Amino acid sequence: MPSPTLREFLRARGVTRREFMKFCTATTAMLGLPATMVPRIAAALGEARRPSVIWLPFQECTGCTESITRAHGATIESLIFEAISLDYQHTLQAAAGDAAERVREQAMKDNWGQYLLIVDGSIPTGNPGYGTIAGRDYLEMLKEAAEGAAAIIALGSCAAFGGIPGARPNPTGAVAVGDVVKDKPIVNVPGCPPIPVVITGVLTQFLTFGKVPELDALGRPRSFFGQTIHDRCYRRPFYERGQFADSFDDEGARAGWCLYKLGCKGPTTYNACATVKWNNGTSFPIEAGHGCIGCSQPGFWDQGGFYQPLSTGNWGNARTVATAVGVGAALGIASAALARKRQRDAEGK
Amino acid sequence: MNAPTSHTHTRKPEPLEFDKPRVSIAKPEYRFDMQGEMPERERVERAMKSFVKDFGRTAAIYMESCIHCGMCAEACHFYETTKDPKYTPIWKLEPFKQAYKREYGPFAVIYRALNLKQKVTVQQLQEWQELIYDSCTVCGRCSLMCPMGIDIASLVSQARHGMYNAGLIPHELWSVTERARIEGSPLGATPKVFRDRVEWLADDHEVEIPLDKANADVLCAMSSIEIMKYPDSVVATARIMNHLGVDWTFRLDGYEATNFGLLSGNSAAQKLLTMKIIDAAVACGAKTVILPECGHAYTALRWMGANMYGQPLPFRVMHIAEYLAEQVHEGRLRLKQVKKSVTFHDPCQVVRRGGAIEAPREVLKALGVELREMYPTKGTNWCCGGGGGVIANHRADDIRYKVFRIKMEQIEKTGAELPVTTCANCRQTFDDGQAHFKWDTEMHSLLELVADNLVEDET
Amino acid sequence: MTLLEFARGPGLQWAVTVFIIGVLWRLLGVFLLRAKPDLSEPRNPAAWKGLRLIALRSWPRREFLEGTAFGEVMGYAFHVGFLVSLFFFAPHVLFFADVARGLIGTDLRGLVGFGWPTLPNGIITLLSAVAVAALFAVLIHRFVNPVKRLISNFDDYFSWFVTVAPLVTGLAAFSHLSGWPYERLLAFHLLSVELLLVWFPFGKLMHAFTIFAARGTTGMIFERKGASL
Repeated sequence: MPSPTLREFLRARGVTRREFMKFCTATTAMLGLPATMVPRIAAALGEARRPSVIWLPFQECTGCTESITRAHGATIESLIFEAISLDYQHTLQAAAGDAAERVREQAMKDNWGQYLLIVDGSIPTGNPGYGTIAGRDYLEMLKEAAEGAAAIIALGSCAAFGGIPGARPNPTGAVAVGDVVKDKPIVNVPGCPPIPVVITGVLTQFLTFGKVPELDALGRPRSFFGQTIHDRCYRRPFYERGQFADSFDDEGARAGWCLYKLGCKGPTTYNACATVKWNNGTSFPIEAGHGCIGCSQPGFWDQGGFYQPLSTGNWGNARTVATAVGVGAALGIASAALARKRQRDAEGK
Repeated sequence: MNAPTSHTHTRKPEPLEFDKPRVSIAKPEYRFDMQGEMPERERVERAMKSFVKDFGRTAAIYMESCIHCGMCAEACHFYETTKDPKYTPIWKLEPFKQAYKREYGPFAVIYRALNLKQKVTVQQLQEWQELIYDSCTVCGRCSLMCPMGIDIASLVSQARHGMYNAGLIPHELWSVTERARIEGSPLGATPKVFRDRVEWLADDHEVEIPLDKANADVLCAMSSIEIMKYPDSVVATARIMNHLGVDWTFRLDGYEATNFGLLSGNSAAQKLLTMKIIDAAVACGAKTVILPECGHAYTALRWMGANMYGQPLPFRVMHIAEYLAEQVHEGRLRLKQVKKSVTFHDPCQVVRRGGAIEAPREVLKALGVELREMYPTKGTNWCCGGGGGVIANHRADDIRYKVFRIKMEQIEKTGAELPVTTCANCRQTFDDGQAHFKWDTEMHSLLELVADNLVEDET
Repeated sequence: MTLLEFARGPGLQWAVTVFIIGVLWRLLGVFLLRAKPDLSEPRNPAAWKGLRLIALRSWPRREFLEGTAFGEVMGYAFHVGFLVSLFFFAPHVLFFADVARGLIGTDLRGLVGFGWPTLPNGIITLLSAVAVAALFAVLIHRFVNPVKRLISNFDDYFSWFVTVAPLVTGLAAFSHLSGWPYERLLAFHLLSVELLLVWFPFGKLMHAFTIFAARGTTGMIFERKGASL
């Protein structure tokens, strides 16, 4: 028996058409699509069959799962989540051990070429022993799963860019999904973790249009990662006026001034935090008084410190400066000595 | 390193002419502006060696500092009257900057390895001869303007050493320097001539002029311009020294104050000429050496003498104007009052470069004249255009006359009756300019003005 | 590595290193050259007083002003605008504070209790724009004025370029020039600064240091002689 459409599924759970349409309207707006698209999204979602989704966790902290599953009561988002057939997910699944692996293998076989692969966590290439599931290493598992996937969502900064394991000195040789898989469409959904509604938005987009959304140069959906935090930050006027907090909890901080001096990476970070915010629109780090750490950017752990302002680059340190001083002085003394010698020689002749 | 001297050179110094308003060589139209027989490559080598020997920390700092702002041109009388950018003072140093960077600067190794600066060529040096000798009086106005504080004039003097060693100086300068070296005077005032002149001047003017005293407190020197053209200055010097009751003398072994070695760039000759005066002063135990009304004489002995000597000079060196000012201060110089309006032309080497800025004015004040300063004046006054060897160089006549217009205009604007200066070379330049332009104004000597207005006791 | 990561990372490190090496090489290579002592009797023995020429030569004498006023005014317009932007714009001040902390372990706030002041962004923007305008004015003058055209060389034009680039890219980045990703504008700005640092020791930009040496040297020589300063 074919699985119910999403519409049927939701109706069975008591979600009225009105509530469903409200969700579709909100999602359409959030995706930056015109209002005329709402009926199409509603139709597509309504008719969608629950696609198979395989979720492979690699070098991850489970933060992405935590983010997505922040259910606030029975929200539409969590129901949508249930509207996909999540056939393999370590944290949420009931099965364990061989049973879980068999389910995964079966789902992959049944839906070969059509399942959606979600990956969170990076993949260690240094030694297969660094990460295994049921005795199989991550790299091999990813390659196999990618082969049968319709598309891959690299969820979280670890999967998208290497994240924490990939940070200096990267002892495990951690790489991103995109470094391993080259022949399948990949949607990077970075963030540490990503905003919950960004996930569902991407999924919705995929379900609606059957293909990956428009991506930026780093493979991130433009609809959510097209603008910087800085460009949408409510504290921007303070930046423009040059009113900065100098330290946490000083007068400026309490007045809600710009956090540039405290290391905010908003100007170079692309994400939806400043508009969509977290916890169902409650707040985001800057609003809470802490600068953006740039968690949706590649290598954000290695950009200097989180509290080092954007304008302070890595100019070196006292040791490199002292070395340069030594070398410069030596060359200066040598060139003067050479000139003096030429002078003495010229006088001698 | 051997500089081209007369024994490698078939030419002898040119005969002199005294009929013109300025002392010059005869037949200047036959020019030999290259000395010595040597291949081009050798000329360049000699020039380069000379630069390397000469460059020191100060010159290097200057060479590193130019920012090509071009403001030095605005201060230079040669640029001012022609608006020709080739007269930009720092441009005179271009081949030398090139040589500095390539041979001596901190990045010389890189410049040579990557050939970022070419080796200077003989053609370049020949082209630059005019810029360095014809259109520069080493007056130092450019040095006063330069926002970076580069003493451009001093660099031109140094550049002249290189040019001399390459055998590329104007032939008049070569000729008179050779004459000075061989005969003791560039302009024919040999010891014999000087002695003869002293004798007939003493006779004619009934003034005692001591010559070759074994011991004296004060040694006086004269410039051959005065000896040959303005002999009244010799008399004036004697009158004043006698009036002051000073134990003074001229000495035949050291009387010539001009230094064409300095002007031409011949360091060996410069030292030779300087040492004559120093040795003479030491021989007679002089405590003070008084230099005559001459600009470069002051620079040569007052500021460069000790360095030629290798130790501090054992006597004071004063320009006659300074000495007169000192005597005015000490009340020993009694002067009649001259009820005339006077404007003072500042000789560049004495005032701007030499530091005797107020001394001439103090003497003029003691003379009771109505002093009308021209504009600009003192340190920023315009050069007469004849210093630094330019007036000896006939090839430079055209441009020197152009430049002289500035002085005529300056003086006329003051409306003063009596222009006065304290340098015989400036005076010679004014005389020549006056003749050329048929100007109705004559330049006077401060020394002679003082001598003419001494209050003598009638005994 | 993204362009910005390079510009904020190894690019900056290498540029600073080359700058330090080059400046010391050039300065020491000149200051350690032979300097013959002057044995003449000074008119004013306290020659050090001549160091005041460093300040005095900052404006021409009245007699020279006519032909030089344009260059002097434009020069100051550029230098003031440039230096104020460099030293009083908040993000730059943060950079220098970081350098201070790295080199001496503390910054100005740690030393005296208050931080280096910053100027409002509006003033910085205005002065930067004035500096850029002045630079273009002097570039035109360099082409058009016969004296400057004759004596100018590669150094003059390239130094002009590496000086104007940080100002222009800085203004572009600060204004978040529309249509351009900010991180790329910022990278260009940092790279232009790095180009400036790398070129600095080898061209006429060194006048920032040599001006003190040249004016000071001449000042002392002239003071000693009593000559006109």
